[in-house]
Amino acid sequence: MTRGAILQIYLPIAELPINVFMIFAMGGTVGFLSGLFGIGGGFLLTPLLIFSGIPPAVSVATVTTQIVASSASGVLSYWRKAGIDFKLAGVLLCSGIVGSAIGVWIFGILRSLGQLDLVISLAYVTFLGTIGVLMLGESMKAIMRRKSGKAPAGRKPGQHNWVHGLPFKVRFRRSKLYVSVIPIFGIGSSIGFLGSVLGIGGGFMMVPALIYLLRVPANIVIGTSLLQILGTMAVATFLHAINTQSVDIVLALTLMIGGVIGAQFGAQVGQGMRGEHLRLGLGLLVLLVGLRFAFNLIVEPEDLYSVSVIEEPVK
Amino acid sequence: MRQAMHSLTTLLTVFFLALISGAPALAEKLVSAVSSSHVAITSNFTGTEILVYGEIARDAETVSRTGNQDVVVVVEGPLERVTTWRKDRIVGLWINATSQTYIAVPSFYAVHATDDLRNIASDDWLKQYRIGLEHLPLAALGTRAPALERNAFKAAFLRSRVQNGLYSQMSKSINFLSPTLFSTTVDLPATIPTGDYKVTTFLFSGGVLLDQQEQVLTVAKTGFEQVTFNLSRQHPAVYGALAIILALFTGWLAGVIFKKD
Repeated sequence: MTRGAILQIYLPIAELPINVFMIFAMGGTVGFLSGLFGIGGGFLLTPLLIFSGIPPAVSVATVTTQIVASSASGVLSYWRKAGIDFKLAGVLLCSGIVGSAIGVWIFGILRSLGQLDLVISLAYVTFLGTIGVLMLGESMKAIMRRKSGKAPAGRKPGQHNWVHGLPFKVRFRRSKLYVSVIPIFGIGSSIGFLGSVLGIGGGFMMVPALIYLLRVPANIVIGTSLLQILGTMAVATFLHAINTQSVDIVLALTLMIGGVIGAQFGAQVGQGMRGEHLRLGLGLLVLLVGLRFAFNLIVEPEDLYSVSVIEEPVK
Repeated sequence: MRQAMHSLTTLLTVFFLALISGAPALAEKLVSAVSSSHVAITSNFTGTEILVYGEIARDAETVSRTGNQDVVVVVEGPLERVTTWRKDRIVGLWINATSQTYIAVPSFYAVHATDDLRNIASDDWLKQYRIGLEHLPLAALGTRAPALERNAFKAAFLRSRVQNGLYSQMSKSINFLSPTLFSTTVDLPATIPTGDYKVTTFLFSGGVLLDQQEQVLTVAKTGFEQVTFNLSRQHPAVYGALAIILALFTGWLAGVIFKKD
């Protein structure tokens, strides 16, 4: 009846069997890296799932669920340390929900047009490529600085950039900030949008944006970003469940378990490493994933043809 | 007198024989069955196989025919609509550029036969009964593409389906256990769609269809898989909420278990 069924588990939504240990290992590896670098790891997990044969729609939708789980445990620990600006997270979350609703809507349209894979690939190439290069540059500079013995330039009080000249200012006590809601809305909605289209939490974009654009203090930024990601991804999961119906709960659970365990080990290893070395590693990783997608777009595929089923089989 | 009676009996017998063999082609009946009418997709489902078997029944009086008889078994899954895309290089990138959409193609199709299909019956017969991959009616929706282009898409579609095991065609794959008993096993891969499948058995002789039999095979998710799938389709909001709760719970649990103090 069943052939070599010991390691296989049937995914009810993806409608194919997968090797449990392979998915568990993937979740674990990405969890390890996410604990190491302090990121969600969605941008690694979604491509891994797609490259291992799970339909892109299911991969993207399911990873949003996995990110809810991985950010939930992070939020808990930052909450205990009072490392969250709830007001800032709330504003980011509201804008994130708007972005993610638009994202899920566009996701459905692209899927029906047959161009979902292309958009996912292009977006990965663009965003990961850019951010990877920026991270590499920044961390290399920091490493050079350390080698040459210069002290890194810290945040000076009263230091402002163009963002601080915008209207509709709101005070965020926990972050000691008084800034316009416009950039906050922009950051929140664009990351929410990318999150639901690409199946990424966007922490690796959110954290630098909050630090460099809004000057959110370092002890607040990760907890706040995690809470925002948790909220946005929970909404994205819900919208995907309703709109694209491609959230696979079995796949999500397998990934979560691997992920949370891996994250614990990653966090322990990460504590013993220098910040700029971690950022260098992360930058390389981000760039590699981007290049992998670029490779698929540029190199002539083995089979030019692909088949996609449009409707459910007629019942 | 006795002589006359004897001749009469002979005559009658001959007449009777002539009557029943008047349409010799119809004397053979086909009886077929499927090993199981239900395929259950459970959490450890990795594909399965079904046995299609049967008998070519002859009337007792029928003279055993020496002409070659052929059996064909066709398993057809529920119909679906598919699009075949072809990538083209556009500004240096390989992008899905042209497509052809087929309506009502079987989601699964397997044909097993006692011989090469072209030895069994003419193309007209095979087309009429949708026997053989090349005889599946694959008409592209609203296309004005030239025949060469259409055939390239059709070939690509069939190739892809054969590669992932959803379509197959095997000649000389039906075994005769006795001169009249036959059987064949059809592989159902792990990715088969759910729904009602049609299992049709054909009996051909000398290029003519003598009889055909049809059975229904139901492929369905059962237990947890069925509940999960139905929930996601019928109550997507509940399903989504459950997914979120599950994720929050797992995250919280991990936070509690690995709490460092």
